[in-house]
Parts: sequence; structure tokens; C-alpha cells
Amino acid sequence: MDLITPREPQDLNAMEDEAFRLHVRRWIEANYPPELRYPPRRLHWNENKVWYFKLAEKGWLCPGWPREYGGLGLSPAKQIIFTEELERWGCARCNDHGIIMLGPLLIRYGTPQQRAFFLPKILSGEHIWCQGYSEPNAGSDLASLRTTAVLEGDHYIVNGQKIWTTLAQDANWMFMLVRTDPAAKKQEGISFLLVDMTSPGITVRPIINLEMHDEFCEVFFDNVRVPKENLVGEPNKGWEMAKALLSFERIYLGSPRQSAYALTRLRELAERMGVWEDPVFAATYAKHRADFEDLKSLYGRYVEVLKRGRPLGADVSQLKIIQSELFQRITETMLAVAGEHGALFEPMAGNRTLHPAGLYLQARPTSIYGGTNEIQRNILAKNVLGLP
Amino acid sequence: MSEAAGIPPYSEDQAESARLVRESAAGFLDVGRARALRFTMPGFSREAWREMAQLGWIGLLVPESAGGAGLSMIEMCALAEELGRGLAPEPLIPCAISALLLAEAGEREVLGQLLAGEAVVLTAWQDRPNTLEVCTDLDRPRCSVPMAGGATHLLLPGPDGLHLLKAADCTITTETTVDGGHIGTVRAQPGRPIGQAALGPALDRAALATAAYLLGGMEAAFAMTLSYLKTRQQFGRPIGSFQALQHKAVDTRLQIALTRAVVEEAAARPEPALCSRAKARASEAAMLVQQNCLQMSGGIGYTDQYDLGLYLRKAMVLAPAFGGPALHRARFMALSPELEEV
Repeated sequence: MDLITPREPQDLNAMEDEAFRLHVRRWIEANYPPELRYPPRRLHWNENKVWYFKLAEKGWLCPGWPREYGGLGLSPAKQIIFTEELERWGCARCNDHGIIMLGPLLIRYGTPQQRAFFLPKILSGEHIWCQGYSEPNAGSDLASLRTTAVLEGDHYIVNGQKIWTTLAQDANWMFMLVRTDPAAKKQEGISFLLVDMTSPGITVRPIINLEMHDEFCEVFFDNVRVPKENLVGEPNKGWEMAKALLSFERIYLGSPRQSAYALTRLRELAERMGVWEDPVFAATYAKHRADFEDLKSLYGRYVEVLKRGRPLGADVSQLKIIQSELFQRITETMLAVAGEHGALFEPMAGNRTLHPAGLYLQARPTSIYGGTNEIQRNILAKNVLGLP
Repeated sequence: MSEAAGIPPYSEDQAESARLVRESAAGFLDVGRARALRFTMPGFSREAWREMAQLGWIGLLVPESAGGAGLSMIEMCALAEELGRGLAPEPLIPCAISALLLAEAGEREVLGQLLAGEAVVLTAWQDRPNTLEVCTDLDRPRCSVPMAGGATHLLLPGPDGLHLLKAADCTITTETTVDGGHIGTVRAQPGRPIGQAALGPALDRAALATAAYLLGGMEAAFAMTLSYLKTRQQFGRPIGSFQALQHKAVDTRLQIALTRAVVEEAAARPEPALCSRAKARASEAAMLVQQNCLQMSGGIGYTDQYDLGLYLRKAMVLAPAFGGPALHRARFMALSPELEEV
């Protein structure tokens, strides 16, 4: 493929860590749209594309991709600092499935043609990707998925349904897992396919969640024709490739940022409700705070693994369980403190970020998505503790 | 099945030094030794005590200029963890901080005997259970002194400095603890102080090392339990194949991983707030872990003959020692700067 000239002329890896951190911080603070800080929910493309294009223009959209593909080629240590700075400023997540999931997958498993066609379009914002994994009957048991892709001449014909597809209504492309060999053992008949969402036969239907937000969608496929060159890797080897991407997700979902945000809100709420003098509240808050700091201590040990360029083991799932359950406990305390205000549909008067019910509801699915905490416990029991 | 859970915040040299100390403790992992010493007086082995002295453990934290090994809490915690696995009953942690205090106060004679394993010097700092407050009123009896029946000397903080007394000059009464050891109450008529030393940092180190000892006990009890889950058959299959037990085992593991994370971070940076956070986590986790292990082991875990219960009973003694979870969490909060606004 033609090499892309990185728009960031400087080799940021050469900077000292702290200098790099300040460099990133200054740029984010100068360029991030202030009205988008700490959004209470995932933003839609029409809301956050301003930020996507700012990052793209700076050449900072894909910090983890190698420079020859238009990324920043940052070392793991620098990538962690980069992410920490985004989190520190409360930056919204972009529509980032192309950036964090598909791009790295194509760089590792794609053909030169696939890389040349798709990667520049992620970098330019022309292609916005969504991830088609879960199905109505394939949630925790993802490998039992039934959406089929049958090869007819030069095309796969796709039929079936995906669900919980994050921001599918904003995406014009989907990477999806499809069943290409119905006779094989369930993990062995799955392929990884790239589908143009504007193809005839695709219907996207948003799902309204408990926060009354349309973050997830159902996507229906009715005889959708997909060119066979859009299959990534070998046919029937999609499961292995998809799994290889998940360890990133597990450490990302274990980041203490959600708990940090919730603790700060709890503190504001306690101030407002005048409960600091209540010894029961003080002890509960102290417990949350110590739990949070201990999670940070544990998280730091896994970050250290990444910094040294080593692979994360299955035990990283511990973080996801601890983080999500702590986030939930903190928001439960918020409801207890807020009384009737804990049931308000809108943020409390005078503070647009103080919304106990919103945060409480937002915490609920964290133990469900990204592999339920029960599935994570199954994985830890088998792969880490060696139980039968 | 690594016990590591990520990488601790140690340099390569520190990690290597901790590993060497761990290896040197291999001879103290036999729980049978600890079992045999239960419900005896003084409840530990004088011979093992001299061996610990020869290994340099009693003076591990004491500066080399005062005859110690000049090592850090990283090595101390690695050692305490191994002793916790083997349930060593010798009062190493209390004596290690007495050694620190003697060195700081400029005392050398009894310190020399202590570092040689000839003396057992215990610091009697509290006048009531469940406190972090150092008592300096010499008229008040001092309580909860671990293994006081084996002491040759007592160190008492007073209003004018540290007082060092021979055990023979004190009245010591002991009460047996559930692990087969004991705690003592000390009444003394002190004379002149030997010098000044700061109790705070010494008690922080004792609390942190005790947290590490509890961590070792958690690891050992959990390893026993895992092996039981894999071999014990009911309903025609190993009980470890049942999801209810698998999830309980994972929850147990999470507590151990969190404890290790905070203990090792505090070992690298033994600041007061971190030491308190480590002891709070370790004390609470130790009880949870031991209770879970007992439940997963069924009836056999409730017998004295099975070693598992030794760990629970040691946790009952050490969870409150040098301060329990509520005290240390409150102290952690009082010492911690507020979270950065996010």
C-alpha cells in the first residue's frame, strides 16, 4: 500500500514521559470542545464529530497504530498517558470502533488491499464503524451466533440479526461475526466480515435503554450481498481473531475512571445534602474511597505489564469485575443519600453533572456488557484458578 | 496460575532482593512446626528465634550503622508474607520495630542482644484494645502485647521518652489467644528514659508487615482450598466444577489480588496513609478470605486436625493487631488529600 505520511511530524516517543503528558494535556485543553466535557452518555456522531476531526487533523486519532499506517506509533507507556489525559479532561469517547478494534485487526490480519482501502477512511472519518457481535440468542454464549453468510459466486449472502450494536445508527460500516460453516463445532464455523451499512437489506432499529437513550441498536440482515474480498483472514477463523482483540477491552473496562467520576459526584452530593457529619455516611464514603484507591493500586500493576510490552493474561478480568461493582456500589450510596432527589429524571437543579439517578442507571450495565461479570468469573475460575 | 496479578512497583534490584529474602525463609514454611508450638509457653521456639537472628531478620530494618541489615519494607513484607504462609509464631514483627526504636534512641547493648537472638524486646504501646493511639502515661498498664510471656525486655513509651525495662522487673499477665499464642498485660515501675524515638513510623511498619503476614496466610489457605476444590468429589464430580463454588473462589482471589496490590505499593512507599490503607484492606480481606475458604472446605475445615483453621485463627488475632480496618480506614481518610476533581 502507499504509505501515509503521518501528520504529526514529531516522534512523540522520543519525549520524556512527563513532557509528553504536558504536551498532550495542553493540546487537549486548548482544542477539546468545552461543552462536551463529561458527557452523561455516549455521544452520537453528529455531536462528537467535531472532536473526531480535530484529532484526525492533528494526526492523533489513532495513537496505537504504527506510523506507516497513519497512527502515532506510541509505545504502550505513552498510549497509557495519552488515554489518562483524555480521561482526566472528561473527553467523550469518539465513535471509535474503527480506531481501537478494526484498525489493529486489519493491521494484523488484513490483506494489503484491505488495509489500503479501509485504514485511510478511518483516519479521515469517512468510514464510521460499529461492531456486530451479539445476537438475540448469542449473548454470553457468543459463539452460538446464528447470523449466516453463504458464499454465492463473488458475494456472501448475509441473513440474520445482531443486537446491542453500539451506535449502529451512526455507522456506515460494520465488522461482524457470521457463521460460514454451520456443520463445524460452534467456534470453528465463524468468519469475520466487513459490511457496508448502506447495502440493501439492512435495517437498523435503535433500542431505548433505562436512561431513555438510544445507545444500542438492533440490526437486521435480509439477503445482504457482501463482496467476498471483505472477509478478513481465513474463512472460519473469525473467532480467534475476535478473541485476540478482547484483552484490550478487559483492561479498558477495568480503568478506575468511572469510579473516580462517581466518587467526585458523591462528594458533591454529600456536600449538598449535608451528610458529612453523619458517621454512617462517613464510614461508607471511607470504604468507597479506600476501595477505589486499592483498585487503582491493582490497575497500576496491569498498566506496568503493558508498559513493559508484555501480554496481559486472563487474570486482567479481575479489574473489570472490581471496577464495575465498585462503580455500582458508589451510585447506590448516591441514591441512599439523595432521597427523593435520587429519582429525578434530570440533573439536580444548579449542577448539570449531579444526576444520581442517571449515574445509578449508567452503572447498571457495566456488570453486563463486555462479558458479564458472571462470565468473567467463569473465565477466571477456569483459566486462572484452574478449576475443572 | 500466577499469584502475581500484574507487576509490583519495584525496580529490578528491589524485586530480586525481595526474592532472595523469600528464599531464605524456606525453612519456616512448615505449618506442623507452628502447630506443635500452640498452647505452650512462651509459644515460640528460642532456637528458631536465634536462627532468625542469624539470618539477619530481627534487624532487617535497622540501619547498618547500628548493626542491622539496612533493608527496606519491600524485603520486610516479602519476609512477613512467607512467615504468614508458615504461621511462624515468633514475634518477629513486634521485635523488628523494637529494634528500630532502640536503634533510633541510641541504645546499643540490649539492641545487640536482640539482634543476636538472645533477647526478645516487645514494645508495650497501647493501654486499651482497638486503638492506634500511643499511650505515654506510665501509670497505666499496657495491654495486648503479643507473645509477652516470652519477653526478656519491654519498651514503654513515656512522656519523657522511651523506657526500657527487664521483663523480670515487670508484672506480666497473659491471656491465651485462639491461635494458641497469647497477649500480655504489662505493669511496670519505670525509671529513667533511654532516649527518644518516633513511635508513628515504627507502628506504621508493624501494621504494614502484619498486613503482609496476613497476605501470606490468605495465599496459603486459598491454595489449600483450591486443591480441595479440585479433588473432593460429590455428585460424581469435583466440587470445583460447580459454579457457585467457582464464583466464591474467584471472589476470594479478588480480595487477595487487591491486598497484594496495596501491600506491595505500600512496601515501596511506606507513607502513613498507604500503610493504613494496606492494613485496612489486609485485615478485612483476611477475614473474608479465611471465612470463604472454610465454607468451601466444608466440615473438614472446621476440624482442628486440618491446617486450614490455623489460618483463620491467626487472622482473628492479627486482623485487629496494630489496628483493625475501621481504625485504619478512618486514619487513611484523615491523612489523604481529597481526590482530584473529575
